Amino acid sequence: MSGPRAQAIVRALRDAALMLAVSAAVAFGTNAVRGDGLPVVQRKDYEILVPCEETNGQTTPIAPNDPALADKATLVVDSRSKQEFDAWHMPSAINIPFDYLAATSEVDVKKVLASRASRVVVYGDGDDPDSGRELARELSGKGVRNVFVVTGGAPALPGGPRPKGAP
Amino acid sequence: MTSLTQWKGHAWIALVVRLYLGGVFLAACFHKIAHPGSFAIDVATYQLLPLALVNAVAILLPWTELIAGASLIAGVRVKAASLLVAAMMISFILALVWALHLHLEMSCGCFASKGAAEDPISWRTLLRDGAWLLMSLYVLAVDDRPIGLERLMGKRRDAHA
Repeated sequence: MSGPRAQAIVRALRDAALMLAVSAAVAFGTNAVRGDGLPVVQRKDYEILVPCEETNGQTTPIAPNDPALADKATLVVDSRSKQEFDAWHMPSAINIPFDYLAATSEVDVKKVLASRASRVVVYGDGDDPDSGRELARELSGKGVRNVFVVTGGAPALPGGPRPKGAP
Repeated sequence: MTSLTQWKGHAWIALVVRLYLGGVFLAACFHKIAHPGSFAIDVATYQLLPLALVNAVAILLPWTELIAGASLIAGVRVKAASLLVAAMMISFILALVWALHLHLEMSCGCFASKGAAEDPISWRTLLRDGAWLLMSLYVLAVDDRPIGLERLMGKRRDAHA
């Protein structure tokens, strides 16, 4: 490689390094002064929803009045039938009716995975067995992380429907 | 080879390519700059970088996209900008290959953060990025006298001299 060409490459590399330095200065400077700036070094794991290989079906119970239900990072899933969902549901909930005789569709599982929520809270009919608990276990088994199930299901939620069989 | 790269028409083709690539990079950076937390999650979702580097990359990358994209459009330090764009495209392609290898069902995070259902990564995403890489290499290889601000300023300086 001869003179002018080599010089052009060196100049391009030098300018690129300079551009990168300017970008870094602006980026980290802006990040330092903005209110929603990130810590430069992240210490706590990000909770990301991607399919994972282990299919242990683990879920965690959560109280019906837990503030996490109102958290924007939470995806709330109502596992009851469409009719029950239409009659009452939590404002932020999506409906994935649980079918005891058929697997939950891949489309619905993908919908949950694609939500980018950091946790998934499922509530069902609160019966025994509870459709919410069953759906939560299935979602967890299919790779969704941080799946919680509302203890007592929809009837236990504030403003929720009356329990079946109640006067 | 030299005569091939010195054809005068390259400057005009490269201008079109630069405007397109610059537009793509400007479009890509705005959402990431406005929502750094969301973009950091996108970066983390690839499960490629150590946790300690995720935020630094999420902070730096969009601004590099902005400056490189603006330089390509304005015609300022075009070689350097196309070099940066090529380097970014190579890293994006490697990240995509990694994610596809792991069968991660996710959005590429290239533009506004979308869910995997809306904008899933696929081999098509890889082809698209490959095309953009080729465009940046084309500009890097042939655009020796780029049409743009820098050339205009140079002409003015020459006229005053």
